[in-house]
Amino acid sequence: MSIWRNLTSGLRTLFHKEEVEQEMDEELRGFLDAAAEEKMRSGMSQDEALRAARVEMGSVDAVKEEIRSAGWESTLETLWQDVRYGLRQLKRNPGFTAVAVITLALGIGATTAIFTVVNAVLLRPLPYPHPEELVYVQEILGNYGPTPFVGNKEFAAWRNQSRTLSPIAAYMDFAANLTGGGEPERVICGTATASFFFILGVRPVVGRLFLPEEDRPGGPPVVILSEALWKRRYGGDPSVLGRGVTLDGKVYTVVGVLPASFVIPDQFKLDYALWVPLAESDTGTGRLRFSRAFGRLKPGMSVATARTELDTILQPTVRKGLKISVVLSPWQEQITEKSRLSLLLFLGAVGFLLLIACVNVANLLLSRAATRQKEIAVRLTVGAGRARIVRQLLTENALLALLGGLIGLALAHWGKDLLVTFMSPNLPALQPIGLDYRVLVFSLALALVTGFAFGLAPALQASRVSLNEVLKEAGRGGELRPGMLFRNLLVISETALAMMLLVGAGLLFRSFLRVLGIDLGFKPEHTLCVSIDLTLSKYPTPKDQARFFQQVIEGIKSLEGVQSVAGSGMPPLGNRSGTITGLAVEGRSEEIGGASFAIISPDYFRTIGIPIKQGRDFGDNDRDGLPSVAIVNETFARRYFPNEICLGRRVSSWVHKKDWLTIVGMVGDTRHRVEKEPDPQIYVPYLQDGQPYMTLLVHTAGNPRLWEGAMRRQVASVDKDQPPHDLATLEQLRAAAHTSRRVNLLLLGAFAALGLILASVGIYGVVSYSVSQRTHEIGVRTALGASRGQVLKLVVSQGLGLALIGTGIGIVASLAVTRFLQTLLYGVKPTDPATFFAVGLLLSGVALLACYIPARRATKVDPMVALRYE
Amino acid sequence: MPDKVSGLVQGTLDMLILRTLALEPMHGYGIALRIEQISRGVFRVNPGSLFPAFRRLEREGWIKPEWRPTENNRRAKYYTLTERGRKQLKAETEEWGRQIAAITRIMEIAD
Repeated sequence: MSIWRNLTSGLRTLFHKEEVEQEMDEELRGFLDAAAEEKMRSGMSQDEALRAARVEMGSVDAVKEEIRSAGWESTLETLWQDVRYGLRQLKRNPGFTAVAVITLALGIGATTAIFTVVNAVLLRPLPYPHPEELVYVQEILGNYGPTPFVGNKEFAAWRNQSRTLSPIAAYMDFAANLTGGGEPERVICGTATASFFFILGVRPVVGRLFLPEEDRPGGPPVVILSEALWKRRYGGDPSVLGRGVTLDGKVYTVVGVLPASFVIPDQFKLDYALWVPLAESDTGTGRLRFSRAFGRLKPGMSVATARTELDTILQPTVRKGLKISVVLSPWQEQITEKSRLSLLLFLGAVGFLLLIACVNVANLLLSRAATRQKEIAVRLTVGAGRARIVRQLLTENALLALLGGLIGLALAHWGKDLLVTFMSPNLPALQPIGLDYRVLVFSLALALVTGFAFGLAPALQASRVSLNEVLKEAGRGGELRPGMLFRNLLVISETALAMMLLVGAGLLFRSFLRVLGIDLGFKPEHTLCVSIDLTLSKYPTPKDQARFFQQVIEGIKSLEGVQSVAGSGMPPLGNRSGTITGLAVEGRSEEIGGASFAIISPDYFRTIGIPIKQGRDFGDNDRDGLPSVAIVNETFARRYFPNEICLGRRVSSWVHKKDWLTIVGMVGDTRHRVEKEPDPQIYVPYLQDGQPYMTLLVHTAGNPRLWEGAMRRQVASVDKDQPPHDLATLEQLRAAAHTSRRVNLLLLGAFAALGLILASVGIYGVVSYSVSQRTHEIGVRTALGASRGQVLKLVVSQGLGLALIGTGIGIVASLAVTRFLQTLLYGVKPTDPATFFAVGLLLSGVALLACYIPARRATKVDPMVALRYE
Repeated sequence: MPDKVSGLVQGTLDMLILRTLALEPMHGYGIALRIEQISRGVFRVNPGSLFPAFRRLEREGWIKPEWRPTENNRRAKYYTLTERGRKQLKAETEEWGRQIAAITRIMEIAD
């Protein structure tokens, strides 16, 4: 095949059509002349000869047509014609086109988006060299489940002795105050062994990483910055190497910078600002005693072998009385475990969705088939070849699938981003996820196949006369045929599924509303929270700590517009929590139980609006040296002093070293976590019981965020090296507490909406089909005097009947299944009748609409046309 | 619609055209005439099959078209067999011979 000649010749034909046409004419004319000449030589007259020659040749146009089709360019032209015709057809039926395209787009888009995310998270390997060799180490202490940590002693033993898991590395996170070189910041720090970076194959942007000598105890205090911190605080200046950085009062020397592309793909997604060597780190509360450990299996070693070896190494170091054993798991699994189930669930749901979308489209195409029969029949009579018609129909359906695919692609992009954002807390931190085009192609192919298979129906029907008759007969009589039964079953199951999804979404929605209405026991409006964790080296004693906070609180109180300020070690909706157990009450022989424990400043209750039910608040007189006091909440009083007054009674705990605290007040309950019932709570004043961290709550006249700058300045004026961090208003914290609930609701809601759309499309398709099949019957009825309303009822009742059956099945199924949602519900029973009723109504309404639209078409049937339509 | 000549498969027609042109370059009618003559009227190729074949063979690079002036100031398209065409003809002739021999054998035996 001379490709070049073929190409150029074809192109010439395309672009110099006239010239080529003329040449063809000329050549054929020449042929005719020569043939005529020949005939004249055998004795015919000129006229006869010419006529004979023409007859022999046949239609000149036909010949030219044959010549044309001998080249590839003609196929192109035909294709182009088909495409234009197909587009015209699609434009002429905008309703059908829109519905079909949207259905396909939804199916293709959703499948691609979800499969991409699932694939990326579950299947994509870690972006490190030989990720399959990476293994995560956990310890099992006693009979408890595996702890994701490893003790220092064990780690040291393994590092020295293991031959199967080598190299082995450990890392951990902690928070510290970063000072020097700018505003003080509280940052999340990582601490790791030198092997950590080595195993993960990271190269520094500037400088170097840890040397093996540096993670021994007493090694040099060095630090590696993250690229983000380097740019933010040091302007990306390479001369930062060798400079000092102060963490919690201790100075470290910068030796390198890590690239921004480096992430630890564990499920915690922490934003590490810098790294210090593991042995060096000192969180202020004592040397780190445990860390996260992982290692690289030596080539040829199996996980089981390594585990046995690590276990053996542990024997001499086993802590007295406790059994410690080892669990090894491939790191990939460890990371994806949490999201695995939900992602797989989504995958299943969405594959199902795609299937339903395709079958819906099939339905639509079939329902259109009857309408197009006439057109096809006409084209056949006029002389179009069967092949040509089939090809044209295929083109049309391909267009449909392509359009659906294009929109689906856009939907997939958008959906994928949405999915990643929503599922962020659950998704491990991996590289940004690009769309998986294999899935897109697969979905598109599925759509194409569906289109081809069912779009050909009109062509097939028109050419098979006997089948035609059969269809007509059945249409008139309304009998059920296998195809019809299948379609009906499909619609019923779609509706049932939509019902279930809607019920689930409805229950979640009601729960969400309930949760929003929960009374937290305090007033979150206009209150800003600021947390400060003091550098212990600077404020070693509780007295120093209390003094600092006192100064800060006084300073902020003096700001204009600040209505009140208070502090608490355990603010509501915060991350801190503390409980004390083993409380004793004076006069009772037994310990009473536990309570939440918070160290607060005076005015705390007033600042956030907690009512004081009995007694008084703490005041400036409740300081060190004066009698120790405490305040309790209602739950505490109810539980531990059920029939008596608690004021004046004395309690004590091991924390206070048997110092008796007199209860001087009782306040209303508050919720520390939105959905959890209040615990018994005991408060003590910070002037009697200092702690090195506190969250200040500032109640302002207007938008509390406006006071941020002034507050920071106040803190800085007391001590510029203590960074205020985690600034948020109480309202923001409350909204954030709802995040996961909101996410679940939105996701399920989206699925429910999709299900609803698909179900209604399905109903529409089936009713539409039945209308086109029963045109004759409808014509007869109308001619015989049936009113519009009666025709409507006839058509709608069929579709609605199916929908109602589906809804019924859906209700029964939901009743059985919603109990699995129990953990996600709040204040709503899984069988909540109001939800079921409302959702049922919604579904029926939508179904009715879906039936009504094609039914209207039925009423417009002109009996004369219908009766003639044979 | 022009009748397709019974039994003349597209590939065979190609081969016949090439064979015809092996002797001398010819225009369309000449080729048709020659095929008809030599086959003693068995094969009457109509233009509906002939001209598409010309285009095909031309695309393959086996024949080369050329406009030559004829008398009365007109021109006719003459086709020449190219080197490649000559090679192709040789190959097809051999294959044809093999097939014929095989068919003959089968026809003789299967009786």
